[in-house]
Amino acid sequence: MNAMMVFYILGHVLRIEGVFMLLPALTGLIYQESNGLYFLYMALFLFFIGFLLSFKRPENTTIYLKEGCVITALSWIAMSYFGALPFYFTGEIPSLLDAIFETVSGFTTTGASILPDPEALCHATQFWRCFTHWIGGMGVLVFLLAIIPMSGGSNINIMRAESPGPSVGKLVPKMRQTAGLLYLIYFFLTALEVLFLVIGKMPLFDSICTSFATAGTGGFGVYRDSMASQTAYLQWVVTIFMILFGVNFNFYFFLLYRHFKKAFTMSEIRAYLAIIVASVTIITVNTINIFGNVLTGVRHSAFQVASIMTTTGFASHDFDMWPEPSKVILVILMFIGACAGSTGGGIKVSRFIILHKSIRKEMKSYLHPKSVSKLTMDGSPIEHDVVRSVNVYFISFMILFTASVFFVSFDNKGLITSFSAVAATINNIGPGLHLVGPTQNYAGFSDFAKIVLSFDMLAGRLELFPLLMLFNPKLYFSKPIFSRKAN
Amino acid sequence: MFSKFTHTASKSLKIIIVGCGKVGHTLTEQLSKEGNNITVIEKNPTVVGDVDAQFDIITIHGNGASYSTLQEAGVEDCDLFIAVTGSDELNLLCCTIAKQFSKCAAIARVRTPDYSKEVGYLRDKLGLAMIINPELESAREMARILYLPTALQVSTFAHGQAEMIKFKIPEGNTLDNMTIANLGKHITHNILICGVERAGEVFIPSGAFTLKADDVVYFASKREEARKFLKNIGMFTKQVRNAMIVGGGLSAYYLANELLHTGIDVHILESSFERCNELSMLLPQAVVINSDATSQEGLLGAGIKDMEAFVPLTGIDEENILLTLFAKKVSKAKVITKVNRIHFTDVISDLDLGSVVYPKLITSEAIIAYARALRASRSSEIETLYHIFDSRAEAIEFKIKESSPVVGKELKDLPLKKDLLIAFINRKGKIIIPSGSDMIEVGDSVMIVTTHTGLNEIRDILKK
Repeated sequence: MNAMMVFYILGHVLRIEGVFMLLPALTGLIYQESNGLYFLYMALFLFFIGFLLSFKRPENTTIYLKEGCVITALSWIAMSYFGALPFYFTGEIPSLLDAIFETVSGFTTTGASILPDPEALCHATQFWRCFTHWIGGMGVLVFLLAIIPMSGGSNINIMRAESPGPSVGKLVPKMRQTAGLLYLIYFFLTALEVLFLVIGKMPLFDSICTSFATAGTGGFGVYRDSMASQTAYLQWVVTIFMILFGVNFNFYFFLLYRHFKKAFTMSEIRAYLAIIVASVTIITVNTINIFGNVLTGVRHSAFQVASIMTTTGFASHDFDMWPEPSKVILVILMFIGACAGSTGGGIKVSRFIILHKSIRKEMKSYLHPKSVSKLTMDGSPIEHDVVRSVNVYFISFMILFTASVFFVSFDNKGLITSFSAVAATINNIGPGLHLVGPTQNYAGFSDFAKIVLSFDMLAGRLELFPLLMLFNPKLYFSKPIFSRKAN
Repeated sequence: MFSKFTHTASKSLKIIIVGCGKVGHTLTEQLSKEGNNITVIEKNPTVVGDVDAQFDIITIHGNGASYSTLQEAGVEDCDLFIAVTGSDELNLLCCTIAKQFSKCAAIARVRTPDYSKEVGYLRDKLGLAMIINPELESAREMARILYLPTALQVSTFAHGQAEMIKFKIPEGNTLDNMTIANLGKHITHNILICGVERAGEVFIPSGAFTLKADDVVYFASKREEARKFLKNIGMFTKQVRNAMIVGGGLSAYYLANELLHTGIDVHILESSFERCNELSMLLPQAVVINSDATSQEGLLGAGIKDMEAFVPLTGIDEENILLTLFAKKVSKAKVITKVNRIHFTDVISDLDLGSVVYPKLITSEAIIAYARALRASRSSEIETLYHIFDSRAEAIEFKIKESSPVVGKELKDLPLKKDLLIAFINRKGKIIIPSGSDMIEVGDSVMIVTTHTGLNEIRDILKK
């Protein structure tokens, strides 16, 4: 393995995190908060370590998929650790483990919090907490690829490891331009949301934080009751932007380059919108007794469907009080998740499309056992490798899910809580049901359960394998440790 | 908001390459390294996956002649379209279709002799920028070597008036232990040593550089001066009188044709009787022998010992190399080895085979030269480009079209880059081997030898 290159890129990642940390430091300066200083010190510290690690560019800069996976997994772990330290130092989250849980939840755009009252945080911390969503949404390594020139084409392997979706491709021939383009779209949409929120009379600071949390499909709210006490206008703005950020970014790329037909015929986008419309309809009908008014009903169900499906995790209403069918729909949406190539989590709509097509193919093969048919999506064939990896992903996901539910069940919080807590973390949503419902938080879990849930969040965001690869001993030892005796 | 992207796009070309075989692969590697935006269209999904992970490019799985695939590749705004699939017809079709939808420059690889006679007609009628025939080009290169057997390689510049010749300094030659400055004083100042390879390292030599035996040297000069020089240093220069070609494929046909025209006797060994019949019709002057050339008896029986040149041109690299080694053992013939695979150049250069010709590199060199010329400003353009020393150095001929900082100054006053040499200036057909007081003028073409890669225009020779 090219360990030099792994450390080199890790160094760059830490330096970038240092740069990002200057923003909360600046926020602290603006609001005259002494806590801002911790961010400044932390930033300087990260510059220093990053500088040491990336001091010399290795001669061999080739990155294979395994290096891509290791770089991604280690970067995310290191970022979460160092990103958690300011929370701990400022004393706003007294336990280090809780701080790490909160930061992992931030970077993985989960939004599961251990804080009972986010309004108690100072501005600098508040900013950093929401900003982690924005960084994690598009991915820090994609950002790295956008700003650091790297020779060779092998750095697509980094993007493959970090970006969600069954098959990751480039938008334009050059990696750097692709990454730059993604961030440009991302930045533009975020800025647009800030504008709309400010028009709706939300304070600027709150608008920025809320937009960060929406853009990354994270869900850390700035308010104690998430979005429940906001005006209908603001709730609609957030609903629409959540849906927009859950869309495959290829869609925006096609719009940008005026391939309108291609954009609107993307089957993933169509399926995504169809699921949203169907869910909203059912939930509106199902909850008509609670809201008594169709308009309010549509608003809350649309908000909640968008929030859960894009894996954001804002709440406009305590959906834990909703009737059973509505809650089940929300749980199903947790697993479906957003589109591939968006900032959202979950298993992803495109994977379900492929699974659905494989099932249909299987049915057909029962009718005509020797029939040959190739799966296609948007007119082009899906390679067998992709189908296989989708199947394996689904199975691995379910195994990890079941195992995590088992581990969390030791806290004896009831099946609904354990089940929905794991579902809400592994799918990067945030709030679950019952004891982890939208009005509750994760503070009550044991340390062990918090570690399991943190792992689930990382595994969910990085789509399992980059993280699971770290546990493969063959990665580190190219030669067997115990050699068998000859003959 | 996208000014950043359009800006970089104006500097680099948008290139579509159809077919990612060996030539496509070399082109992709070189052109993407030079910073162009490349889209590769390839039919074979495995190749698509490999290339995608290897280079910073976009790959599309599909047929390059279908409009929808081309549209997906963005043919409308592409600058250069290169079709290098295995099939001539497909290449021509791809280019023709691409030309319908965009103003790009199109290059097709066409190899069959049926079309090669009509290249000019095809190119003009189909509006192509270039039709390239690797078999013909490599046959020409091999023929040039056989005209000057001492040379390991002969490349022509300035429409054939100047040559760059590669040879190895034998043990005990007068050049052994001679500095370049002394060579100019004592032997001739009409040639210029452009590059020396010693123990795997490439030098662009200055006057103080001392030549040693076993050095592989490139020098540039006028055609006739080159021969005079080689005679002066005691190296045999007469062209071969007969040649044996093994294998009767396309390149064999082109080479035999070339050699027969200059009065060299050609023997062709071919194992298929059908093909022998065809060849004897096509090349009535050649001796066509129907025999399996991979057997020693067959070769000895065909008279390999009496041959002055031996060129194995079978389709299999390993066989070609074995045949070359055998020929070197049993005869004094000048041997040329054709190697199709380009991934093992360093292993092959260690084998000491003498002259080695890589048809795939010849193709890609021509196309890369064209692509760089497209990128350059209007003040100068690339006429020819050769990779020398296994692509570690380049020899580039620039046509000077307009005034630039390089023009009108004495060469000794130009702040040239390190490891860069002006090999000759071609002024209205007169070849000047430049000294410090010469000047580059508008209308000249200038040959540059350098280990820097990616020179697009003449002003790139100056220090930044």
